[in-house]
Amino acid sequence: MSRLTILLLTLLFPAVVLTARDTDSGEKPLRPVFAAYTVEYGTSHLADTYLTPLKYDGWHTGLDYVRYQAMGFSPDRWTMSLHGNLSVDRTDNPARNATMWSAMLSLEWGMMHRWRPVKGLTLALGGSTGIEAGALYSSRNGNNPASAKGAWTVNLTGYAAFRCSVGRLPVTLMYRPTLPVTGIFFAPDYGELYYEIYLGDHDGLVHAAWWGNRFELDNLLTADLHFGSTSLRLGYSGKIYSSEVNHIVTHRFTHALSIGVSGEWLSVNPRKGISSTARIINAIY
Amino acid sequence: MKNLLLPIVLLFSLVSCHDLEEYVDNPEGNFEALWTILDEHYCFFSQKEIDWDEVHDRYARRIAPGMNREELFIVCADMLNELRDGHVNLSASFNTSYYREWWSAYPQNFNLRVIEDRYFNYNYRQTSGMMYGFLSDNIGYLYYPTFSQTVGEGNLDNVLYFLSSARGLIIDVRDNGGGSLTNVETFVSRFITEPTVVGYISHKTGPGHDDFSEPRAITYRPAAAGRIRWGKPVVVLANRSTFSAANNFVSVMKNLPGVKVAGATTGGGSGMPYSSELPCGWGVRFSACSILDARRESTESGVEPSEGCEAEITPADMAAGRDPILEKAISLLSE
Repeated sequence: MSRLTILLLTLLFPAVVLTARDTDSGEKPLRPVFAAYTVEYGTSHLADTYLTPLKYDGWHTGLDYVRYQAMGFSPDRWTMSLHGNLSVDRTDNPARNATMWSAMLSLEWGMMHRWRPVKGLTLALGGSTGIEAGALYSSRNGNNPASAKGAWTVNLTGYAAFRCSVGRLPVTLMYRPTLPVTGIFFAPDYGELYYEIYLGDHDGLVHAAWWGNRFELDNLLTADLHFGSTSLRLGYSGKIYSSEVNHIVTHRFTHALSIGVSGEWLSVNPRKGISSTARIINAIY
Repeated sequence: MKNLLLPIVLLFSLVSCHDLEEYVDNPEGNFEALWTILDEHYCFFSQKEIDWDEVHDRYARRIAPGMNREELFIVCADMLNELRDGHVNLSASFNTSYYREWWSAYPQNFNLRVIEDRYFNYNYRQTSGMMYGFLSDNIGYLYYPTFSQTVGEGNLDNVLYFLSSARGLIIDVRDNGGGSLTNVETFVSRFITEPTVVGYISHKTGPGHDDFSEPRAITYRPAAAGRIRWGKPVVVLANRSTFSAANNFVSVMKNLPGVKVAGATTGGGSGMPYSSELPCGWGVRFSACSILDARRESTESGVEPSEGCEAEITPADMAAGRDPILEKAISLLSE
């Protein structure tokens, strides 16, 4: 990657900036940022007994952003990740005469330990923490039109990345699951209307999460096709969410194909440049 | 491998706990779904002493696999009428069921045309859904036909300022079928001078018929500084068609100092409605949260007039174009 390319990428993606902390010796490793921007589209299956006893199905779409970077304190062994997702689902009831919408925003930060058991394969395992907020909305309901969702979770996460080639095209295959283990989440009481919450009844709205009352598993399978300095990312995103609290059951299952761009960006100080002996530590491998 | 298998099996067994009961879209499935939704969420079974299991058995006998949607609708609507609740409706594309006896079994004792003609000679003012003006003997009159119509604070300021020279105010909510409780609060805030507990609300905490939360106080605050508040005597006019949010308004006003309720017992409807649906796509609405008055008493069956303030309109009054309920209020404020 030429310095001109690096500078151009720096101008194009100013938010993804790595500060190369040059020291007098110039031996600090460089830690480029791996970032991917994708759009996803697929199917959605929603159910929320606060709104309806029926299962709805329809489409799911979303924007996804993921960012990796080797960590400063032990860049060879540890990497951190930032993952944001905004999704909108539109589903219909079995009779196709009512619509339920879902809008969710999630943000998650984590750090993972990396191993390289064999050449080309990197495994990572660690933890993350994230917040999620949104709502399900039923167009046909009066005093109970929406079921608000909100959570802060502590998660197990990791990935397996495998570098290979298809013909002469370098490809990186990656699978990343994220499994919330505990945390807290919002849920109204069984028959509580939001009017009561508006009146000030805030008792029992926050619940401790465990797999018995809230199970969520995000699966992200991607293939980065390295055509040049920017890669084409194709993928599959599958999310499973199931909760039962205060006798209210919520299901949210989505399956989506995703497409976008990914790449590694390095921000450098043009006046200092890059040391010819600097070691670059990839964010994922 | 065996070490991994156990946690995985445990994990998925936990998740499978979040089961949803599923109903088939046929007459039996829709009937059972409707009965179960009400069984688990309706809030007045005990208060009305309804044996819902017995109701199920009685109406389930009328369900047949080959019945069409119209026939199924009739059976389901009849079953819902057992709840004797004006907030319970079954909605299909071809019909919406209502329990009408809460008002149809009582005399119609309101005729706006009589008031417009005999008492105002069509000389009144209107704003934000309200009709208002001066009656004889310097009595202010305000008619508010529905709490679904949002009341603007500026509109209320203008109305109360215009009527401020009156010796008393009549608020007529006869035939007011309800609407939004926030409009009730907007109105009531003009008649209180300090934060006031106006009622209590309790919701279902589980599917059992008696699973209720502890009643929680509903407190209204006075209108903001600079807004016009009313401190003179008030008479609220009500009849059997005063329902839901209007019923709540009457129950709140009745407990305020300087306020009397005249006319007939209101229609009730103190349950906050909740919506659900059946596999065939029909919607169902029913009372889910019970609102009590400031004395923690239910007003589901209506709010009675203040003592000595009962009044009726006979067919002869109607024929003569008289409104004895309005005249009762005028006499109360003229005393």
